[in-house]
Amino acid sequence: MFASAGISGTVGRAFLLVGFIGAVFGAFAAFTGARRNDQQIIRLIPRFSTLSFAAAVGAFAAMEYAMITRDFSLAYVQKVGSWSTPALYNFAAVWSALEGSILMWVLVLAGYTAAVSFWVRKRMQDLIASWALGVMFVVSAFFFLVSFFPANPFAAGAPGVLDGPGPNPLLQNHILVMFHPPILYLGYVGVTVPFAFAIAALITGRVGEGWLVATRRWSLFAWGFLTFGIALGSWWSYEVLGWSGVWAWDPVENASLLPWITGTAYIHSVLVQERRGMLRVWNISLLVATFSLTILGTFLTRSGVLNSVHAFSESSIGSWFLALFAVVLVVSIGLIGWRGDKLRSPGVIDSPLSREAAFLANNVLFAVFAFVVLLGTVFPLIIEALQNRQIAVGAPFFDKLSMPIGLALLTLMAIAPVLPWRKASTETLRERLFWPAWCGVAALVASLLLGAYGLAPLLTFTLGGVSAGAALRQVVLATRRQGWRGLVGRANGGMIVHLGVILIAVALGASNSFSKSQELSLVANVEANFSGHTFELKDVVEVRDDRSISVKALVLVDGKKIYAPAITKYTRIGMNVGTPSVRTSLTTDIYLTLEPPVRQDANEARIKVFIKPMIIWLWIGTALMAVGTVLAAFPGRRRKPTDATSAPVEVAAS
Amino acid sequence: MKTRKSVWLAMFLLVAVLLVFGATRTGGPQTQQDRIDSLTAVLACPTCSGESVFVSRAAAAESIRAEVARQVSAGLRTDEQILSYIEQRFGGEVLLVPRATGVDALVWALPVAALVFSIFLLYSAFTKWRGNKPESPTSQDEQIVARALNTKSDEQ
Amino acid sequence: MKSNNLVKIVSTIVGIVIAMFFVVLVVADPDQDIVARSPLLGQPAPAVTSETIDGAQFVLERRKGSWVVLNFFNSTCVPCINEHDLLVDFANSEASNLNGAEIYTIINDDSSDAVRDFFNKNGGDWQKVKDDNGAIAVAFGVARVPETWIIDPNGMVRLRITGELSPGLLSEQVNKLRDGFTS
Repeated sequence: MFASAGISGTVGRAFLLVGFIGAVFGAFAAFTGARRNDQQIIRLIPRFSTLSFAAAVGAFAAMEYAMITRDFSLAYVQKVGSWSTPALYNFAAVWSALEGSILMWVLVLAGYTAAVSFWVRKRMQDLIASWALGVMFVVSAFFFLVSFFPANPFAAGAPGVLDGPGPNPLLQNHILVMFHPPILYLGYVGVTVPFAFAIAALITGRVGEGWLVATRRWSLFAWGFLTFGIALGSWWSYEVLGWSGVWAWDPVENASLLPWITGTAYIHSVLVQERRGMLRVWNISLLVATFSLTILGTFLTRSGVLNSVHAFSESSIGSWFLALFAVVLVVSIGLIGWRGDKLRSPGVIDSPLSREAAFLANNVLFAVFAFVVLLGTVFPLIIEALQNRQIAVGAPFFDKLSMPIGLALLTLMAIAPVLPWRKASTETLRERLFWPAWCGVAALVASLLLGAYGLAPLLTFTLGGVSAGAALRQVVLATRRQGWRGLVGRANGGMIVHLGVILIAVALGASNSFSKSQELSLVANVEANFSGHTFELKDVVEVRDDRSISVKALVLVDGKKIYAPAITKYTRIGMNVGTPSVRTSLTTDIYLTLEPPVRQDANEARIKVFIKPMIIWLWIGTALMAVGTVLAAFPGRRRKPTDATSAPVEVAAS
Repeated sequence: MKTRKSVWLAMFLLVAVLLVFGATRTGGPQTQQDRIDSLTAVLACPTCSGESVFVSRAAAAESIRAEVARQVSAGLRTDEQILSYIEQRFGGEVLLVPRATGVDALVWALPVAALVFSIFLLYSAFTKWRGNKPESPTSQDEQIVARALNTKSDEQ
Repeated sequence: MKSNNLVKIVSTIVGIVIAMFFVVLVVADPDQDIVARSPLLGQPAPAVTSETIDGAQFVLERRKGSWVVLNFFNSTCVPCINEHDLLVDFANSEASNLNGAEIYTIINDDSSDAVRDFFNKNGGDWQKVKDDNGAIAVAFGVARVPETWIIDPNGMVRLRITGELSPGLLSEQVNKLRDGFTS
């Protein structure tokens, strides 16, 4: 079991074993304590969660130590380590391949378990907490086991190896590799927490609103990081991959998007449960779906069943995740079926013109969206299994189907913030939407004046304008009533998140429809023109270091600054990577790539120029979403604690 | 209020007119690069999974891009012919848009079916909820209440 | 209660869909056949005109009258390196045959120098053909290396082998085709 060479290997595996034992004992303590309502046993839980977390930190530290000291006795370091990789990228190399990623998952999950354990430490009389922690320990134990057996990062490598190829070249030329995976994992793994509480609620039969409110911030936290992680991934794709886009509907991207879609649906429909006590089964199903989709996504991308930009080599790990997926679904569906009677709620939604109804419509749209993404991702698999032929389902399919869904969601975003709970009259709607509607008209006129065309983008801009107006109206009213407190809380923070989403939708609409590109054959010191910009090749230079040979074309753009798109050959791996060079402004990005073949001695270069409108608004929108999420996590205006949960909050006459 | 209603009507008309105007407008003729990009966007890179030739930086994708660029600048073939040229070389799996016939059509049909089904579910849920209005009291109930109130006031 | 039945029905349906999903996933097989399909089988080989790394002209059509084996190759691809010795053996055995097959390497996404170095170190003196913008690869529909193609003396494509060759496979296939061949 410990037949791994090197001190890091043995230490690391020992830590993993300790962590696994801690998780197993923790699960035992949690489940037995909860079943017998025995506080003595329950009191042991924090010890096991701390032990497990400490062990996970130890294992991760051992891995980093091995990577930093270039301990080539480990097979994993032989795979992704190298003396010629710069320190920062070498640190990040730990999570650049399968085994290290699983190790990071172990660390984040153990961290969440310890954090939840700490958070509920004063409320352990409530058995829901113990059941939830039990679930988290079980999942944690699974990942420790995976890291011990099929995805063992501490396995001994071939003897006598003195250097390695380093991580995939795509993962060692941009600093985002330090941030995107950890942040994404904080979100991806974080959905385990609301899932665990959902299972605990089903087991105890206490499926009312209490646990929902309690775990609200955990759900929001995980969702926020998942959103930010996905956005960072898009930014990385834009800056590094060289095709000038932000989203390719790649299976790995889809795997991260699917739990985000169901998570967003949950964030909205949980409000209906809090207010009206309805949709309990649906909300629990959403949480189960969100967690299951993280496991399914991991299965699809790690098993080699599909291939993509990030996918790593095949390994038996696929069957492990498939098994976990099966167990999660069987247990969850079984529990939901068993507790079906308790989940029924007496509430009704009175009117299709109400905020509850808008949230229902929102959920329908998100559910269909998730279905579309899942279907498109696994359809090639299904066809291959049924008919033994290979087909591809890619961006054209997803783009075509997500466009109407996106427009419908924008429409809902315009109407829902002005809809009151319970019932609304069309007069109320007309009055409240008056100024937002004019915002929409203004947006349409402005975009037409700027030269926009095409029904889909114009609709996007119009609806975006109306939604922005509706969201701003809400925020303005709230700040007028309460000052700065009008910016915090679920509703107001949510409006700011909506503003971010609208910016992203508008920016995507603009850049997808109105980007222009052209290949230019540049000769040194001769100016070329495209789309109102000038490009002049100044020089073609070669830069060598111990891991790569880079050929850069120095291009003067608009006579102002020199941009250097490059093609880099990573000598150790024999892989060529193109690096784009981007000039960003508030209105357009000018994106340059160098096209092969290129010769360093020649005085010419072929570049491809992309003129992409409004790209920076994608990142501004993301920042706004992040700010809004933080604001939404703060407590907002509180209802009187003695009011029923479904009592309306006083709304000042507007 | 009538004034408001007519303002809304005017607004909708304005938006409709502007949308029609904008939808029928174009951004200029399609350049050769546009044509190459739109063709490569519907071709699947043979060594990737679902990425288009336009997106992928793999060697096979580069070769196909070069081939498409060659054929577009030669100007001899239509879009359909260029696509079928590539398809004939690499086999049917190179087309990124699933066909609308046979089993492949399921990928288009199922989402529509899902949408229709969920709208139907929503509709039946709303009808059920509408029907769940609390019963109004019968005349018998009202008599009981009236008697009870009378008794009470008598006692006082 | 009606709603409880609904939950049970929905759970069963979801359960069945997921079970079917499982069957699909479990059956999903990332492996591939070694002798592969191609729309070009039985068709005339695409016209190939290019240069070898020594500067000589290479025109596939002029090779009509002999059996031609094309091997798509990249000096950093591990299966290509692994099968190289098998190709050298094959070339040697064919050289002594009157009706022997001619073998050519088509370079895939690699520099001529790297290929030249590799062959200098590992043997193999047949012609290596350049394919700078991947036109030959696209013409044959070759996306991954190694691939080995067999073309008969009439210029028709007869066989396509994807992936690393196993010992004796190439000779066996060429002999089978040769025996069955009537011009």
